[in-house]
Amino acid sequence: MPDTSPRPVPAPDPLTQPFWDATAAHRLEIQRCAACGYYNHPPKRLCDQCTSPDLGYAEVSGRGKVYSFTVMRQTSIAGFEDKVPYTTMLVELEEQPQLLLAATVPGAGDGIAINQPVELWWEPIEDGFVLPQFRPIA
Amino acid sequence: MTWASRGKTAVVGIGTSKISRKAEKPLGLLALDACRAALEDAGVKPEEVDGLVTYPDQPFLGAGNRDGEDLVTVNFLIDHGGLAKDIKWYSQISSGMIPSAFIEGVHALASGTCNYVLVWRAMHLPQGTYGAWRSNRAGGDTQFTAPFGAANPFQWHGLAYQRYMDTYGAKREHMATLVTNSRRNANLNEAAYFYSQPMSFEDYMNARMISDPLSLFDCDIPVEGCIALLLTTGDRATGLKQKPAYIAGFGQQATKRPSLTTYTMDDHMICGGSTTSKIWEMSGLGPKDIGAAQLYDGFSPSTYYWLEAAGFCGRGEAWQFVQDGRIALEGELPVNTFGGSLSEGRLHGMGHLAEAVRQVTGRAGPRQVVDCHASIALDGSPMLRNAGILFTSEP
Ligand SMILES: [Zn+2]
Repeated sequence: MPDTSPRPVPAPDPLTQPFWDATAAHRLEIQRCAACGYYNHPPKRLCDQCTSPDLGYAEVSGRGKVYSFTVMRQTSIAGFEDKVPYTTMLVELEEQPQLLLAATVPGAGDGIAINQPVELWWEPIEDGFVLPQFRPIA
Repeated sequence: MTWASRGKTAVVGIGTSKISRKAEKPLGLLALDACRAALEDAGVKPEEVDGLVTYPDQPFLGAGNRDGEDLVTVNFLIDHGGLAKDIKWYSQISSGMIPSAFIEGVHALASGTCNYVLVWRAMHLPQGTYGAWRSNRAGGDTQFTAPFGAANPFQWHGLAYQRYMDTYGAKREHMATLVTNSRRNANLNEAAYFYSQPMSFEDYMNARMISDPLSLFDCDIPVEGCIALLLTTGDRATGLKQKPAYIAGFGQQATKRPSLTTYTMDDHMICGGSTTSKIWEMSGLGPKDIGAAQLYDGFSPSTYYWLEAAGFCGRGEAWQFVQDGRIALEGELPVNTFGGSLSEGRLHGMGHLAEAVRQVTGRAGPRQVVDCHASIALDGSPMLRNAGILFTSEP
C-alpha cells in the first residue's frame, strides 16, 4: 500500500475563497447572511434560512463542542492511507445549532466524548492552505 | 383525506436477475433478464408494455456512465427491450430513490396515459475500492471535508450513529439483533447474496470495524443485479397470472435540510416523517396495520431511524423495539423479511419494494408472514432524499 498519495487540498471557488483567505491568516470566518444573520456552512449562493443573496463572511469564536465522532479504519481516502486509524469529528460551533465543521484527530477516538469542548488550532498543508482543526480539551 | 386513486394501480409481476459480486454479463443484459422475468411472471407480452420509468443513478460520483454497462436508462430499454413499438410514456428521475420513479409510474397509470409500466433498478459494482476518494483536489462542498480525511458515506453514517448511541444509550449488541435477524431472513431467500451464510451474534460482534461504531456487517453488500416490477391499472390487474399488490399510498421526503454534506442524526424524525406521514394520510392506514416493514438498510442504523420516524416506536426507542423477537418473521412487526440490503445485496431499495409486494400477495415462500395484508417499503436514508410505498392485498 503506497503511503505517499497526495492529500486532497481545497479547490476554492469565488464562494469559498474568503474562507481560505481567512484561514491562511489564522482567522476562522464563516459565511453569514446580512439579511437574517444565519451562518451558512458550506457557503451558499442563497441563504439557507431566508434565501437572501446578500451574504458575506464574519469571524467566529472558534469555540464549540464535539457534535459527533467516528473512527476511520479504511484506507480509502487518498493521502490518509498511512494515518488510519484516525478520528473524524464534527464540531458544532457555539454561534449556531448545527453549524458543523469537520476536523481530524489522530488515533482511535480514545478520550473523545460528545459535547466535550474543543479548541481551534491551525494545520498548514500543501499549496499554502491552512486547515482550521479542532482538538477536544478537558 | 384518503387518496382518490387508492387501490387503482397494482404491481402484477416481479423479475429478478442473478445477484452477484461480479456478473458474467453486462448490466444491460441483467436488466433485460429482470424485465422479461417480470413480464413472464405476470403473463403480459413485452409488446403490451407502453410505459417505462427508472432511477438510474450511480451509487457514487465518478462511477462510469456507459448505458447498458455502468447503468441502464430508459433509452436502453426502448432500444433493446422488444417492448411496444411506440412507448406512450417514460420518465427517468434523478432524485428520491427508486420509489420516486415508481410513483411516476403510478401517476401515468392512474391518469390513463398507458396500460403497463416497467420499473427497474439496475446496480453496477465498479472495480476497485468501493467509493474510494482518489483525487488530490477537493472542490465544491467537499473542500470542507475531504482535506480533513472525511469523504466516504460510511463516515457520515458513523457520525450520526455515534450520536444516536450516545443520546439514547444504544450499544452494538443491540444492533446485533437487527443484523442477525436480517441474515436469518436472507437464509430463507434463494436470491440473496448471503443465502447460504448464517451469521451469529458472535460473528457480528467480532466483525471488522469500518468507521466506528459501524462495522463491516453494518454496511450493505455491494452487488451487481437488477430487479424489475410490472405495474398496471387495478382493472387489468385482476385478470393476470399473479395476485395483485395494490398501491395504497406513497410519500417522498421534501423537508429542507441544513446541508447534504453533513448527515446529522437530529434530522431523522422530521425528514423521515415527511415521507411516512403522507403515506399514512393517503392510505388511511397506520403503523398498527402493517404486517411487514421493509426499511432501508444501506447502513444498519437507517432501519432504526425509519422505525422511529414512521411511528412504529417512539424516538430513541428503536434499539429496544428490535429486541425480544419483535421484528422476527413470527414477531409483532417483521422487518426486512428478505434480508435487506445488508444480506440480500445493495439494490438501492428495489429489493425492499419487491419484498413488500411478495408479502402482501402471499408469495414470500418460507419467509411468508402470516396474514400480511399491508407492507410498507421505505427507501433511502431517512435524513436524505427518500421515498416509500405502501402495498395492500386488497384494493
Ligand atoms: Zn438569511
